[in-house]
Amino acid sequence: MATTTATITLASSDITDNNISVSNTATLTDAGNDTGVTKTTGLTRVTLSSTSNVVLLDSGETGGVELARNAGGAITSGKVFLQNLNDRGDGSKYVTVLLQAVVIGRLYGGDWMFLPWEGGVGNDLEVTPSSTTDTTLEYIVFY
Amino acid sequence: MATTTASITLSSQDILSNAISISSSSTLYHDNTTATGLTQFKSGRVNVYVTGGSFDLIPALASEEASSTNSYVYICNKDTTATNYVTISIYNEVIGKLYAGDWMFIPWEQNDPVGDNGSDNDIEVEAFVGGPQTIEWMVFTESTATILDASGD
Repeated sequence: MATTTATITLASSDITDNNISVSNTATLTDAGNDTGVTKTTGLTRVTLSSTSNVVLLDSGETGGVELARNAGGAITSGKVFLQNLNDRGDGSKYVTVLLQAVVIGRLYGGDWMFLPWEGGVGNDLEVTPSSTTDTTLEYIVFY
Repeated sequence: MATTTASITLSSQDILSNAISISSSSTLYHDNTTATGLTQFKSGRVNVYVTGGSFDLIPALASEEASSTNSYVYICNKDTTATNYVTISIYNEVIGKLYAGDWMFIPWEQNDPVGDNGSDNDIEVEAFVGGPQTIEWMVFTESTATILDASGD
């Protein structure tokens, strides 16, 4: 097994009249036990230059990232980190992140996200850039 | 405006033959601005029980007029039993499972896409084992109208 941790800090000194500071560290484990995840895609960088929808992570059994499965064949546990490395610019350019056809949200230049991933056929993680300006993304999956 | 930052560090000494250390930090801004911070947020801490059904953890805006184009959501499962988990969904699309101690941070399309006070973009939670599991959440957002649900009475 390996030990992989993900730490988040959310902080603001002025969104309320008192400071907000939330910090949590998760140790990434296999589904339902304390064994650390042992697989990763490694960090990957892609540049997109059209507004076409693309499959960033293909979770299907026939290609792409196939998440670890338990003995019964059920999808277990994956974690995805994705960031938009572009400058924010005027704040009008982004990539829309989707689970197949369902929009999760928009990643503007400089934004990042970290989410568990159910995976499985029909749960590809997809992105759609808002412009033809080169958009550079980095992602890594632990599973 | 306000300044709210979200930072992440991913690290492992042994998942590969060389150490991994990835860090990123972003400031949560309004859509179409260069540096205007989000000014609204909601948060909560709830216990989720196994009932055979899912619950709205963070409802989408009630109307498309209350336009929000840029929101961010943080959710953490504070449970400590490794076998326990909840699923997090956007409406009926399962994003994934948050096991005990896991957290997630995502951008979120908070609008109700058809403005029918429906549940299309609700963020939902469901527990399948153990419990009750304690879930903490925060949402940072902008909008052109209130982000509160109508009282309906």
